[in-house]
Amino acid sequence: MSDVLAEATDLAKAYPLVFRPRDRVRALWHLLAGGGRAESVTVLKNVNLQVRRGESLALIGENGAGKSTLLKLLTGVLTPTTGCVKINARVGALLELGAGFHPEYSGRDNIALAAALYGLDARETQTKIPQIVEFADIGHYIDEPVKHYSSGMVVRLGFAIVASLKPDLLITDEVLAVGDEAFQKKCVSWIEDYLAGGGTLILVSHSMYHVKKLCRHACWLKHGEIAAMGDVFAVTQAYQAYQEGKSAPLAATRANVFGQNLEFCLVELTLNGNSRAEEPLDLAQGDTLRVRVRVRSRDGRVPVVLFGIARVDGTPVYGVASDMDGVRPRRDADDMYSIGIAFGDLALLPGVYIVRAHPFDPEGVRLFDTLERSLVINGQSREIGMVRLTHSWIGVEADTRERAGAAS
Amino acid sequence: MSRLSLVLHFIRRDLRNRYLGTFSGGLWALVQPLVQLAVYGFVFVYVFKAAAPGANAPGFVPFLALGLWPWTAFSEGLSRATTTIQDNAPLIRKIAMPREVLVCAAVASAFLIHGLGFCAIAVALWMFGVPIDLVSLPFALLTFAQLFLLGLGFAFLFAALQVFVRDLSPALPQLLMLWMFASPIFYARDSFPEQYRSWLQINPFAHYPESLRASMLHFGSIGWRADATALLVAVCVLVAGWAVFRRLNPHFEDFL
Repeated sequence: MSDVLAEATDLAKAYPLVFRPRDRVRALWHLLAGGGRAESVTVLKNVNLQVRRGESLALIGENGAGKSTLLKLLTGVLTPTTGCVKINARVGALLELGAGFHPEYSGRDNIALAAALYGLDARETQTKIPQIVEFADIGHYIDEPVKHYSSGMVVRLGFAIVASLKPDLLITDEVLAVGDEAFQKKCVSWIEDYLAGGGTLILVSHSMYHVKKLCRHACWLKHGEIAAMGDVFAVTQAYQAYQEGKSAPLAATRANVFGQNLEFCLVELTLNGNSRAEEPLDLAQGDTLRVRVRVRSRDGRVPVVLFGIARVDGTPVYGVASDMDGVRPRRDADDMYSIGIAFGDLALLPGVYIVRAHPFDPEGVRLFDTLERSLVINGQSREIGMVRLTHSWIGVEADTRERAGAAS
Repeated sequence: MSRLSLVLHFIRRDLRNRYLGTFSGGLWALVQPLVQLAVYGFVFVYVFKAAAPGANAPGFVPFLALGLWPWTAFSEGLSRATTTIQDNAPLIRKIAMPREVLVCAAVASAFLIHGLGFCAIAVALWMFGVPIDLVSLPFALLTFAQLFLLGLGFAFLFAALQVFVRDLSPALPQLLMLWMFASPIFYARDSFPEQYRSWLQINPFAHYPESLRASMLHFGSIGWRADATALLVAVCVLVAGWAVFRRLNPHFEDFL
């Protein structure tokens, strides 16, 4: 079960610089004569990775980090400048939206071509076409040239083809970003079934939600090199922390907020005594979360402050404002108020959350400002959802065997 | 094996899409060189008053037909193959595939269409009473096959170079025109000015119209040495073209 399906060793890729036609001729000459290399720009270097059967690996990173290039190298579309790629599987690849469609030909023609390129004979292709058409679900467009498709339809068709081929190794690039919600769900549930059935996946996505949902491992590419690789939660956390650190020019936008001289603005947000915005706070289930803010009030009026916890995708988990519980911020100076809240025995399930604070006017009507911090709850719980609700089982016997198994 | 089926797939797709949306469908394959033959025949016979090219040649039209069809197959295959890598860039950029398949398919579909056209015109000429030797038609097709190898060799070379030097495809029609008139298609080698006649020696295409005329019209004769040389040249061009293509193939994606 541990056979390696894809392996990259010391992989590097440099694209030649070809701004002028002259460069192309020179590059041609270099290649034919086998002489020195032309000028080039390195987009990927020192990449070593292994993907075993049944594994699911996510490639994450900023735009231009080399994710797509790495996928192209793995699928064999690109030739590495140095290093090598070994693939021991039938690969189904979906690169940069669309499985290599010719825009002039109809959806059906493109299906036939994709099947032929995958190595299916005409009869197998015929049996698969209805299945593909049904999965893609793009109506009469299937007989129209692909150039008339919307980008969502192209992805639908591409994914439908790859899904029907049932490859050993599925390599996809941002497929989930384009389709509508219904299709995304369809894709995600298909990929889950595929993985449950022993399939192997390499996925590029900017959606940490999908990455964490579908993959067990992640590889973070930064400027063409692997910055971190390993467990999906650890790597995505490191990546998200880095991303937030990059948006530290937030400080500048904060200055902007102060400059606007709003009636109320947040000066500081601390989580468990830590006020550095770039670091997410790590907690375990059941810990206590203490959130404190300082609010500047232009006219010295007493603000209402709302604290909230939301999922990374923005879904609110819980929110409460000071006026709801009949409390007021403490006055520290003429124009400065502070308030804190403690959430004891945190019921949040493992995952990444956002802690938010907002000041309102004394009437609790107008919202003036927002500060956010990331909160990471660590743990290995298999429970589902966002919070653990207080519960007790009714009419059951203790399953000692199962508990012993879980404890070991 | 799968490569062959891929080539067949691309040929089928090419043939289907070429004549898709035209009224007469595949007939165009025959009509186009026929019109060419009619125009050239009229211009040369009635306007230029070209004499029959040789004492034992049965008129100018069959003489011309045996030169025109191989040339059409050769030049069309070449010009289609030259841009095929570029035309299929959307595919090449996203799917790992044997790119040589595209070149083979482009050349093969041209030879398939015009090979069939050639058979049809040979039968038609025979029915019109031209003393054309239909028995040697299989030999003529062998000559076509050899020409296919030559065309494939040039096609590999041009297709690979075109990815790097984009000037090739706009220059190609001029090059092909020059090549056409530098080949014994409209004239026999004997009527070529004597001091330039040796230039025909370096034209690898020159052998083919002459060989076809020799076998089907019994016009002129080709020694076995010329046959062997032509075969050798075709194989050498194929090997050289393939070598260049294979060398540049891994880098196509970088330059597309």
